[in-house]
Amino acid sequence: MSFKGWKTHIEEGDLVIAYLSRESMMPIVINKKETYNNKYGIFRHNDMIGKEYGSKMGSHTGRGFMYLLHPTPELWTQVLPHRTQILYAADISFITSYLDLKPGSKVIESGTGSGSFSHSLARTIAPTGKLFSFEYHEERATLARGEFEAHGFGDIIKLEHRDVCADGFGIKDTVHAGMSRHETVLLRFWKCTVVVNWYALLNLIVFLDLPAPWDAIPATKETFKQRRTGKICCFSPCIEQVTKTVASLNENGFVDITMYECLIRNHDVRTIQVLTVADAIQSAKDKAQQKSLMMQQRKRKRQQRDDPKPDEEDKDQDLEPEADGADADADADASTVEQEPDADAIAREVNNMLVTKTPVEARGHTSYLTFGTFLPVLDDDMRIKEVSAEGSG
Amino acid sequence: MDDLIPATTTQDDVDEDIPVIRANQYILIKMPSGNQKVVTLRPDSLVSLGKFGSFHANDLIGQVFGHSYEIYGRNQIRVTSNWALEEVEETDANNREIFDDSSTQKLSFLDIEKLKEEGMKGELEGKDIIQKMVDSHASFDKKTEFSKAKYIQRKQKKFMKVFTPLRPTMLSVAQYFFVKNPDKVRNMRIDTLSQILSFGNVHANSKLLVVDDTQGLVISAVAERMGGFGTILGIHDGDNHNYDILRYMNFSKHVLDSVTTLPWTKVAKDAAQEPFDYKTEEQLGNMKELDRNGYYRRKRGYEKLQAAKQSLWDGNFDGLIVASQYTAVSILETLLPYLGGSRPIVIYSIHKEALLDACVWMRKSVDCLNPQITESWLRQYQVLPGRTHPEMTTTGGAGYVLTAMRVIDFPTQAAVGMGSRRNKEVDSEDGRSVSSLGTRGTRRGGDRGRRGGWDSGGRGRGGRGVRNAKNRSEQASASALMTKGDDGEPSKRVKLDD
Repeated sequence: MSFKGWKTHIEEGDLVIAYLSRESMMPIVINKKETYNNKYGIFRHNDMIGKEYGSKMGSHTGRGFMYLLHPTPELWTQVLPHRTQILYAADISFITSYLDLKPGSKVIESGTGSGSFSHSLARTIAPTGKLFSFEYHEERATLARGEFEAHGFGDIIKLEHRDVCADGFGIKDTVHAGMSRHETVLLRFWKCTVVVNWYALLNLIVFLDLPAPWDAIPATKETFKQRRTGKICCFSPCIEQVTKTVASLNENGFVDITMYECLIRNHDVRTIQVLTVADAIQSAKDKAQQKSLMMQQRKRKRQQRDDPKPDEEDKDQDLEPEADGADADADADASTVEQEPDADAIAREVNNMLVTKTPVEARGHTSYLTFGTFLPVLDDDMRIKEVSAEGSG
Repeated sequence: MDDLIPATTTQDDVDEDIPVIRANQYILIKMPSGNQKVVTLRPDSLVSLGKFGSFHANDLIGQVFGHSYEIYGRNQIRVTSNWALEEVEETDANNREIFDDSSTQKLSFLDIEKLKEEGMKGELEGKDIIQKMVDSHASFDKKTEFSKAKYIQRKQKKFMKVFTPLRPTMLSVAQYFFVKNPDKVRNMRIDTLSQILSFGNVHANSKLLVVDDTQGLVISAVAERMGGFGTILGIHDGDNHNYDILRYMNFSKHVLDSVTTLPWTKVAKDAAQEPFDYKTEEQLGNMKELDRNGYYRRKRGYEKLQAAKQSLWDGNFDGLIVASQYTAVSILETLLPYLGGSRPIVIYSIHKEALLDACVWMRKSVDCLNPQITESWLRQYQVLPGRTHPEMTTTGGAGYVLTAMRVIDFPTQAAVGMGSRRNKEVDSEDGRSVSSLGTRGTRRGGDRGRRGGWDSGGRGRGGRGVRNAKNRSEQASASALMTKGDDGEPSKRVKLDD
């Protein structure tokens, strides 16, 4: 449908991402008989058909509105049904670049999981590439296959329910790049370090029983196109797994083995007031003045109580500060009134500055990305000239 | 070497069974020191790698990428095994008795120079030099195994005459320029570039608008990801584009044809009418051959420019990607109307401060949804067996990316109370309205919509005719036009057509 190519208008059967806010998005499949209900009211699918993607849409009840967004792998990553731990934008982007993926690339992905990365991969290698995706969990494989077909990736992604650690990939001399991750297992492993209960312990044993990422590496070798350079990426959350993966890559002749971590940090833009020491002094002075004013008032009230006829001198003194105070109040009122229409513009004139702030809590770790390069196999057909006769060093 | 135009192929490397190193193309050479070098392989020439020696280009042409070669004898090369990561066994040795001074090395500076000279002449191999240095190192045996390995590795970087030819790809080229000349590419690191491509949903069969002042890095990356399917319109300074990096990518004609360009001066609509003095067949017949060729060249250039302008004005771009010296707000004001609905806007800057105004501007604009500034963080590790740790030095930063989504506001749907003022603004400002911060909060949902009038659909957006002007098939034919002809640009520049 529309993941691998842009559409301009919404049609029956389309997947639309309903955007209510940054935190609240919902994938909906357009069926003209259905309605989508949220806290802003009722939205009829039939009213969405024919609208341009990106349109703002009011609810039928008029309580609010949302935006109808075109699906992209990036949005899908934010709204997809989680069946496993998923890959996020930072890792997805970096792996895609590091594996040199582009239209026409042929890629193996071991561990389909929830299909977050698969969508991104398929988008990048379409229309001429192929993604061979392997998932050993039968139900997840079925669900993912259904999603890929519904999203128009049926001809790009070939999903197979298969345990690649035990049975290999069943592909020879085909792919340019491989991506291995056994997060289904690792996720359980992770959870059990957090929640120690009987069930978790059971999972721990299951983990130990199950094959590990490095077991899949020897099998990947024959899947690569044998006469060109290929790349592999292993995605593992724990450093011990990296060590084993690196050893296995090394033993199997992969070169340029390296490992990266990549994260994305948000910077929220906001305005703050510029305050100086002079402001502090002024503020202290103002307070002191107010205080003395109050003292004077109290004194006057006391005097009035004690002596119904205040003398002339006091009266003069009182008037002035009171008048000042009234002016200040009037000013404040005026400014709040004026700030209403365009608070931001005025605020910036009034000694405000634009700054950014990093969130208090952020993602600290996703996984380690271990990369290796597969070298073309040399043989007589490769025109290695006299060099191959002498043998390599 | 810089005047060379890479031999343009008709086949993309990804479709080739055995992609080999071709004559007259740029390749990257990774040297023992870890540095990289761009070289062109002219047939029958000698390629110099400085202190690591030289080799004959012909010996490399026709070979596959990836393997490492050792220079030996008289500029000869042979395939050598890539250094494997060696397991290092821990011993009881420590550095208690090791003194760090030059007296431990018994070979003098002059001795080593002499060894190097013999190496250059091909009389001595790199590993022999290293062995000699180890043999005459007084306290080598006292070193820990880790330390020995490190010592040998350091000497290998200096004396081994091994190099690895690499195929220029977005990754290798971006990394090369980020290390060699970061200012050229606006300090754009590969992870940031990758995120720009992801956030921009760059893929085949798109029509992308790109403002690239990274000398072509962004255009090259976008072109690689689109693989020649779709159209890229690059808006550039001056009369001719400055996408220097394009030429290192060895793109096929198929991919180069997807790149079209337009200077800023032609973006404004008032630059629309530039008449061209078309000649009749008869007039052409009377012209001298030289003049006639000149006429055809001018005509092609003119038609190409007109097609690029039309492509811009047709609008409905599938993404706007910016890495420019000009303020983001000024670019948004100029180009945002040409972007389609629900399409991504991605703006890069090495300076976060340069993006703040644009972020606020987008928040206020009813045409932009969810502006966010993000920064990428990347850490590389050394993964030698038993010696895994983050690299000791890294890059300080990789710039910032401002992203948002282009959306389509429907003034008729705005709230009666708060929204009434905004509706007025929309009317008066012809669609490029800017709502106040006060109403923005309610825009995210929750403002009271007026009943009725929902189905006004795509109407009521006067002044944005560009968006509805043309359908896709017409655009496709416009872009097909652009791929013809020769622009007669200086030869240093990659030719984007013909």
